[in-house]
Amino acid sequence: MTNREQPASASVPPSRGKIAERLLPGGEEPDPRFTLANERTFLAWIRTSLALLAGGIAIEAFTADLFLEPVRKGLAVVLLLLGMLLSAGSAVRWLRVERSMRNKAPLPLPLIVPLLAAAGALAAAVVLVFILWR
Amino acid sequence: MALVTVSAIFLRWLPQHGLPILLLFAVSAGTAAGIYFTQRRRYSVSSRGIHNENVDADITAVLWTAFAGVVLGALGIGVVLTG
Repeated sequence: MTNREQPASASVPPSRGKIAERLLPGGEEPDPRFTLANERTFLAWIRTSLALLAGGIAIEAFTADLFLEPVRKGLAVVLLLLGMLLSAGSAVRWLRVERSMRNKAPLPLPLIVPLLAAAGALAAAVVLVFILWR
Repeated sequence: MALVTVSAIFLRWLPQHGLPILLLFAVSAGTAAGIYFTQRRRYSVSSRGIHNENVDADITAVLWTAFAGVVLGALGIGVVLTG
């Protein structure tokens, strides 16, 4: 058998699993490099979310002498909430991009970018107001 | 590595918040261990996928990782608000 000859079963695509069939229906498998690139982008967002989680914990644990308790807790909650939303948002983003690639549709706009920008600006504003007011 | 770092930072809360912090540590360290011990298999699948021009999207791993992040955030917020 030459490389170009395939057995009859090769034309039947293998099962992708129930979850994949349900969440990524239709379309066709994109170029594997694109799938892996999408996964790398997801992991980059997850790293950002973990950094925010660690930042929230650090604010709460290490800045007792620096910030008043409500400011400290508020900042910690904002950072932790943002980390949580980014984590969920990155999975949604990964799914939407994967669906678009399977259906050869334009890639969706990243909704988590404005979320990250707005929450980052809010956290910075809280710190700025506190420093000026103190 | 990021999850291991986060789990180590969670331990910093142990003196203030007590034993519930061990749950956060367990989720974070457990996820890190899960990723570490399946890394070789996933790398191998990806390499073969590139060679065969066909990679199935690893949807389960993506959803579990995102879920772990959400759980860690929710538990962290709970600890901050109740502590």
